[in-house]
Amino acid sequence: MIAVLGLILGVVVGFFVRPEVPTAFEPYLPIAVVAALDAVFGGLRAMLDGIFDDKVFVVSFLSNVVVAALIVFLGDQLGVGAQLSTGVVVVLGIRIFSNVAAIRRHVFRA
Amino acid sequence: MPQQGPERSSARPRPDASMSLLTEIMEHSLDDGYAEAARREKTAPRSTGTRLVVAAGLMIAALIVTVAATEAHDAAPVIAEERANLIDRVEDETAEADDLHGEVDRLRQDLEDSRSKALDNEGAAALERLGLLSGAIDVEGPGVRLVVDDAETTASAGGDGPRRSTGFTDTGRLRDHDLQKVVNGLWAAGAEAVSVNGQRLTALSAIRAAGDAIVVDNRPLAPPYTLLAIGDGDRLSDTFQNGADGRYLYVLQENYGIRTSISTQDKVSLPAAAGLTVRNAQPAGPAGKVTS
Repeated sequence: MIAVLGLILGVVVGFFVRPEVPTAFEPYLPIAVVAALDAVFGGLRAMLDGIFDDKVFVVSFLSNVVVAALIVFLGDQLGVGAQLSTGVVVVLGIRIFSNVAAIRRHVFRA
Repeated sequence: MPQQGPERSSARPRPDASMSLLTEIMEHSLDDGYAEAARREKTAPRSTGTRLVVAAGLMIAALIVTVAATEAHDAAPVIAEERANLIDRVEDETAEADDLHGEVDRLRQDLEDSRSKALDNEGAAALERLGLLSGAIDVEGPGVRLVVDDAETTASAGGDGPRRSTGFTDTGRLRDHDLQKVVNGLWAAGAEAVSVNGQRLTALSAIRAAGDAIVVDNRPLAPPYTLLAIGDGDRLSDTFQNGADGRYLYVLQENYGIRTSISTQDKVSLPAAAGLTVRNAQPAGPAGKVTS
């Protein structure tokens, strides 16, 4: 219940406060979005599997965002930022898909 | 590739052994930490503190997604405005270029007039002849009018002819080298002056492609392409249509739906060419003498 409230609060704050994203961090926003979605769907699946753990959820989410941003930052310094962010999106995208597939199997038994 | 694991060394290799990276990604989609934590403590009492931590994590996740969405939403009108500005600039510059072309034409006319006044009759006649041949002055005379247009549905997928091999995707679209062949055919059939959509072709003209557009002398053309050629009307028309390039155009019409129409005209008028600037070429010695 509190978790759902947090979700709603996040949407509300993002929508109404509209925090300005500094231009320096703008390239990392798409990566952060994909990492956030990955963490949320991963957590949902773990909950349905009955093995959800709050610490793992928060730590894996934050570390995924940081590592993804680091990879892209490194890529930007080496001139291959776009390619590396594609790589991050592909890997996290595959994870999101298979986690959603697992959630689907839980919910619909199909 | 043999299986690496010792416990399965005697077994047959997995059929998907060569795709182990993909399998790894697909099967380990859930963070291993969850399983480990579940093993560590089977029944975790859920306190308000842990719930708050989860809520905070979810809040951050939702915040990131929402901020990204609002950013993209806010940026859309700005991008559209920049695009509109660019289009405006292109249109302004094109209009300006057209004005300048008009001025060039007017000044050239003045120059021609002054020059023919200054020269005696014989010189003026020779100069006029040169101007006719080089495309420096307007010409008119009998000729043909050839209109070529893209196929009705330019997106129609045609056969797998040689036209596929170029960069363009639509087979029903007239390409730069098609237009080159047509113009070449007109010259070969005896045309004395040729223009495409009001662009007079000269010895310096180039017909080429830029993106999907055909460009003549750095000016993009829009279909339909109207070619005017001065020559002996009926004979020019017949020779062109029976020549190799005329037949090529016919094949385009039959196989790809390119629309063409050719008509003989009693009088066609062709404008002078816009840019006839020679920067490097110099006459080689006295007239008639060729240096080897």
